[in-house]
Amino acid sequence: MATHVLRLDDASYQEIRGYRLLGFLLFLISDSILFSSFIFSYLYDRAASPTWPPPGVERPDVYLIAVNSIVLFGSGVTMHLAMEGWRHAQRSRFVGFIVATILLGCTFLSGQLYEYMHLHDTWAGSTFGAFFFTLTGMHGFHVLIGVFFLITVLIQALRGTYTTQRYMGLTAATLYWHFVDVIWVALFFLFYVY
Amino acid sequence: MATQTIAAPVAHIHPPPKGFIARYVISFDHKVIAVQYIITGGLFFVLAGLLAELMRAQLMQAHGHVLGPALYNEAYTVHGSAMVWLVIIPILTGGFGNLVMPLQIGARDVAFPWLNMFSFWLFPPAGILLFASFLMGAPQAGWTEYPPVSLHTPGTVLWCAAIFLIGVSATITGINFLVTVAKMRAPGMTWTRMPLFVWATVTTAFLSAIATANLSAVLAALFIEKVFHVPFYDPANGGSPVLWQHVFWFYSHPAVYIMVLPAFGIVSEILPTFARRPIFGYKAIAYSSVTIGLVSFMVWAHHMFTSGLARWVQLPFMILTMAVGIPTGVKIFSWVATLWRGRLRLTTPMLFTIGFLSQFTFGGITGIMLASVPADVHEHATYFVVAHLHYVLVGGSVFGIFAGLYYWWPKMTGRMLDERLGKWHFWLMFLAFNAAFLPMHWLGLLGMQRRVAYYSQQFGPDQLGWVQGTNWFVSIAAFVLGASMLLFAYNALRSASRGRPAGPNPWGARTLEWMVSSPPPYYNFAEIPIVLSGPYDYGKPLPYANVSQELATVPVA
Amino acid sequence: MAAISALLMWGVVIFPIDQFLPQATSASLEIDFIFKFMAFFSTPILVFVNGYILYFAWRYHTRKGDDITAVGSSIHDHRWLEFWWTAIPSALMVALGIISYLVMPKYYLASAASVATIEAIGHTFYYEFRYPGLKQSVLNDMHLPVGKQVTIDLTSSEPDIRNAVIHSFWAPEFRVKQDMIPGMIVPIHFTPREIGTYRIICTEFCGIGHSDMVGKVIIESQADFDRWFAAQQRLQAAAGIPMEVPLAKGNSAAGGRLFAERCTVCHGTGSFSQRKVGPGLGNLFHDPAHPTLVTGKPANAADVADILEHGASGDMGTMPNAQANRLTPKDIADLVAYLQSLH
Repeated sequence: MATHVLRLDDASYQEIRGYRLLGFLLFLISDSILFSSFIFSYLYDRAASPTWPPPGVERPDVYLIAVNSIVLFGSGVTMHLAMEGWRHAQRSRFVGFIVATILLGCTFLSGQLYEYMHLHDTWAGSTFGAFFFTLTGMHGFHVLIGVFFLITVLIQALRGTYTTQRYMGLTAATLYWHFVDVIWVALFFLFYVY
Repeated sequence: MATQTIAAPVAHIHPPPKGFIARYVISFDHKVIAVQYIITGGLFFVLAGLLAELMRAQLMQAHGHVLGPALYNEAYTVHGSAMVWLVIIPILTGGFGNLVMPLQIGARDVAFPWLNMFSFWLFPPAGILLFASFLMGAPQAGWTEYPPVSLHTPGTVLWCAAIFLIGVSATITGINFLVTVAKMRAPGMTWTRMPLFVWATVTTAFLSAIATANLSAVLAALFIEKVFHVPFYDPANGGSPVLWQHVFWFYSHPAVYIMVLPAFGIVSEILPTFARRPIFGYKAIAYSSVTIGLVSFMVWAHHMFTSGLARWVQLPFMILTMAVGIPTGVKIFSWVATLWRGRLRLTTPMLFTIGFLSQFTFGGITGIMLASVPADVHEHATYFVVAHLHYVLVGGSVFGIFAGLYYWWPKMTGRMLDERLGKWHFWLMFLAFNAAFLPMHWLGLLGMQRRVAYYSQQFGPDQLGWVQGTNWFVSIAAFVLGASMLLFAYNALRSASRGRPAGPNPWGARTLEWMVSSPPPYYNFAEIPIVLSGPYDYGKPLPYANVSQELATVPVA
Repeated sequence: MAAISALLMWGVVIFPIDQFLPQATSASLEIDFIFKFMAFFSTPILVFVNGYILYFAWRYHTRKGDDITAVGSSIHDHRWLEFWWTAIPSALMVALGIISYLVMPKYYLASAASVATIEAIGHTFYYEFRYPGLKQSVLNDMHLPVGKQVTIDLTSSEPDIRNAVIHSFWAPEFRVKQDMIPGMIVPIHFTPREIGTYRIICTEFCGIGHSDMVGKVIIESQADFDRWFAAQQRLQAAAGIPMEVPLAKGNSAAGGRLFAERCTVCHGTGSFSQRKVGPGLGNLFHDPAHPTLVTGKPANAADVADILEHGASGDMGTMPNAQANRLTPKDIADLVAYLQSLH
């Protein structure tokens, strides 16, 4: 049975891809403003406080989170390798590395949950807790969405939606995943180092 | 499997939508969405305006009994929040931005039509949420909802939720418009051949996309604090109330430019049309819009000069606030110069535009008076500020909205509005507006502060009579101002059956929206136009390669 | 247009601001100068912009019989004009900025040591002033000696800090305004220069009683101030001696009028649970199930009078005392009589 598939010609595809890429980048910029707003507020509160952390608050331990960060950055590497695999039409390499990225992302989230459950500070207990849980919580939520995003593009890739020339969805997923990584660099530095 | 390749989507015209719901309710057509925004915004304008009339009725006497203090507080809070977020921003961006910008750049629609439709449908629920708060305790702390008092008064949670929704809508619209103008301009339309309304839309879209994300963050924080007691702003828990002021105003100052830049764009379109000559200083106006947009992010703390900021912090904000007046002045002088040696037709849109010029100049000057820190210390939070903000937002933006409505009404509906009714509307509105808001400058300087349900306490017996009399006069003027809107409503409704049918270009203008029928076909252009030069060179042939020269510039109205 | 400008500008220069709003402190003079400066230079801008709008609208208006298709001038820029209309406003802004900068220290930096520092604390909905040398606070009415620089430390507080909100201290005649922010102490400095009684107005929305939050500042000669201060010291030493409240002579009609004027901002006459700021007082004396007073006893005239005299503070908030509410002993008796007459 012959099936008809409507397919855009190259010029049109490039045009639509241009819109979507710019739109997605602008979305990521506005998302970074969301994080920046809370980061600025945290720095303000910290500068305005006579002592930091506030009395009764323990700064969380850096060791577990350092491991968790390596997991997340590792997932950025695997994401990059997956994209390389796709571009070179190495399908099994692509699938393997995407699955690895998803698993590493889930590992990161589990690590975060573990950290939350073993922290002495609470969300409402201090201004440190307020910003720590809100910012890392927002970030974790973004990672969770990212995991769903990756699962979706994996399914789409397996279904044949993308070609080695046309893979806008994969590009968007990669950008999003790297964005989540970059935000984590900032948060890690903010809460665990500075 | 057979693959069928289709040609470039920009040139491709898809079949029209069918059925009432697809065509008018969940339409993806930017023109339909624009009308939806304008009608919904208009409804909220009436509601918020009625709240203002109730407030003025209360203030006719020094200790009025029309509204109790709680209801009065709710009234000005919802009035302000609604006018900013449910009227002016949606009508100017979602309404006129959607209606005019894609046509002016020669596109068939915006970059993301589904997102455009989704963006609109966030708007009515946000508005319903805000007004429904009256049933459960509306917010009382003003449209700025400063903590800690907003954490102790009701309605804050609903307010956060409503404004958050409309903020998401504005962010999406901003991104949509930026991509549209960046990527979908007709061949030959370089940045310096774009109409000035498009320049205004781009700058506004940039502010919408970037600044509104910050608003979402702070609303979420206030919500979390109220519901879960997470300490961001309440000093009782270690938070900082001044922090709220910083992050709130970091959005809200760019927001006031979101509210006025599109109106600047409308003015820049109407003046050349009804002066039948090029806009004076095209590049100056275009670049000054961008400058104003960028600097608007750097002036927020001028709302906080009495909040205990250190002097070295206040100084740069004072300087930058004064600096932002310069590009604004350049635009005003350029606009006035556009009248020079023109062939002026004082139609209703032109009258509203001229009213804008005069009133916005005055509002801009009082803005500079507020920029000076020592002067602001006396003026802050008094009726002087109320007067200033209404001069720029009503005398400016709302007059700009009406100018745009009268101007683009034929394009939107295919009918002309009645000129005589329009002129009556203008003159009544102009006189009533100035009568209502001019005396407020004086009231503020003498001691009447904002957000008070009665003012019997703060004036000595020798002044109280005069103050009450002035307030009475202001209230009467405000009632006339409200009544003048009925003229527009009647005119609008009447045009559906009795308005003269409009051709494609009743005003004899030169921008691309006037090169298609009124209203335009759903696909806008049968053939995408090719642009050869800027649109304001009256006297020369139309600068489009494949557009009929007969559509040119013979005004029939 | 130049002539009209000149006329109006001269009017600005001679305008007697101090007839409408006394210039009661040192800062008032400089700030009024800034107002005049701004009005002076705004005038020609407004006259020229509006003048040219009107003139062009008249001069270039197409009249009946004119060719409707004719177009206007094609001139679209003019470098020299654009330069000047950018440069002159810029220069004016710079001048305004410099003058403003020079005036700013007038109330932020003490130029010489102040003779005293007074704490001003904003409450819902009254001002509390703590003078050095006075054991107890003075409420709502602040006295200052003329000609001496003072420092006022501003903040906002409540017995239960969770109830504190932002207030503001605005004395229009002083041209001084500063927000009172819980958790922060912000100092202002000024020198009173004109004897008189002036207003302190709260300009930051603080809740339901915001419209009522008005205090007084009385500037008087040093001798008068000393007399007042000494009287305060005597009063406070005698504090603890109760007011003589003539309960038997309470007039409920007068009490009703006073209640409507002073108390309805916080209290209604409904049942206890119908709270505004404080509980409803309608059933105070007549409901056996009514909650007890803050003293722990059921409602009785003497204890209610006591609360009105001394105020009370607890979980529900702060009830200001007689001085804050400006109640005389007779007022208290009238109010008690009125509350007894309800229901």
